[in-house]
Amino acid sequence: MTKKLLMIDDDPDFVSGIKAILDKGGFEVDVAYNPKDGMTALQTKQYDLLLLDIMMGRGAEGIMIARKLRKDVKLRELPVLIMTGMREQIAFLFPGEPIHPRFVEIDELVEKPVEPKMLLEKVNSLIAAAEAKKAGKK
Amino acid sequence: METKPKILIIDDEEVVLDSCTQILKGSGYQLKIANDGLRGVELVREYQPDLVFVDLKMPGISGFEVLEKVREIDSTIVTVVITGFATVSSAVDAMKKGAYDFLPKPFTPDEFRMIARRGIERRRLMLETIALRREKELLREQFASIVSHELKAPLGAVQQNLFALDFELEEKLTEEQKAKFGRIKIRIDELLKLINSWLRVISVDINKLKDSFAQVSITKPISNALESVASLAERKNIEIVSSISDQLPPILGDVLSLSEVFVNIMGNSIKYSPDGTKVTLTAEVQGQNLVTTIQDGGIGISPEDLPHIFDGFFRGKSGQAGHGIGLAVAHQIVDAHHGSINVTSELGKGTTFMVSLPLFVNSP
Repeated sequence: MTKKLLMIDDDPDFVSGIKAILDKGGFEVDVAYNPKDGMTALQTKQYDLLLLDIMMGRGAEGIMIARKLRKDVKLRELPVLIMTGMREQIAFLFPGEPIHPRFVEIDELVEKPVEPKMLLEKVNSLIAAAEAKKAGKK
Repeated sequence: METKPKILIIDDEEVVLDSCTQILKGSGYQLKIANDGLRGVELVREYQPDLVFVDLKMPGISGFEVLEKVREIDSTIVTVVITGFATVSSAVDAMKKGAYDFLPKPFTPDEFRMIARRGIERRRLMLETIALRREKELLREQFASIVSHELKAPLGAVQQNLFALDFELEEKLTEEQKAKFGRIKIRIDELLKLINSWLRVISVDINKLKDSFAQVSITKPISNALESVASLAERKNIEIVSSISDQLPPILGDVLSLSEVFVNIMGNSIKYSPDGTKVTLTAEVQGQNLVTTIQDGGIGISPEDLPHIFDGFFRGKSGQAGHGIGLAVAHQIVDAHHGSINVTSELGKGTTFMVSLPLFVNSP
């Protein structure tokens, strides 16, 4: 079955560069260009993975979304690929844990821009990890 | 309307206070007087004057003590000492303690007015300098954020779309066209890395790294760095020969920033090495330090350029591309680790960098 992804990022040009790769990779991708639309989409539709930009709007609004996800019993199981353009902020935001910020149970952080091969690998492995976890629970 | 400059005079002689009040009447200054040191200091706090005249010889607390107190309260307040019998030596002592000028008794109205005017002007300039310095800091911070948002984000979006285009056209492109894509991607990647280094220098307090120091093995940052420079080395046909024992004792540090140190130094070595040469990497314990040596067979650095290579934005006279700020960043990071970088070089033969980092010591 085709996997459904949601991408939340406020830069339309960047989004199209990511979406094209995911489209070709066989994913179905919805896009929200701000945190509010993103939250609405998350609450009304089912997704297999979220691609989340950290720095949106006035600051680290992406982190707010991650925090909301963690508090939501259902959404907390959604795997999240976090994307940031601010390398120097990675160490600042996630001291000592740069790769898996552990904002939600299954997440990983990558720096923008993301190479196609790496993007697809991360997306596939995060989805697989989430599915394995679900299967383990049942 | 601009507020009138405020002057405070502290002197125990009524006649001095009276005459000064007379002289400054109608001159556009606000004036307050105190006839002893304690009251004077109190007024400095309440009234916040621009300029304070202090008699050195007073009963109670001395003029010198008043000077010290004024400095403590606000070091930008300008002080002028009034000395009886023109004792130049005590005036000199006072000026060493921060007084701006001295007024010898007896003085003429003109002398007093002139010294007051100069003192007020001095205070104005001091405040202006502080304001400008603050503005400069602000501009610096703002510049950092402009660089990140206005330059880095668009460049990142360009690169992402290039990745996408290359990926979509994978089956259709000829080898030559793919090579063109490759060149564009590499150059953009270099630009992005440059902006990152810039941002490190401008907006990141490298000393904050110390908060995340942990016991680490040097092999970790070195292998990170080797992985990171591998493609650059391959492109330039440079062999990296690394012989690092995994039995080395640990150091205290931050893996990510140390990786950056080795990336920057190795990147520099590779950049300045001719095709087909080698870069060798070794590490050993020397006393209380772990010394990592990176040696290349590159063009070398001339003796007059050598002292400047860690300055940042420095470009050697040789006309080759600049060392950029990578080495400056490396130096700052190693400094934060209480280590040192030494470099020796010979033109035409090559350059050797030695990164020395203190060994991890178990705190008792």
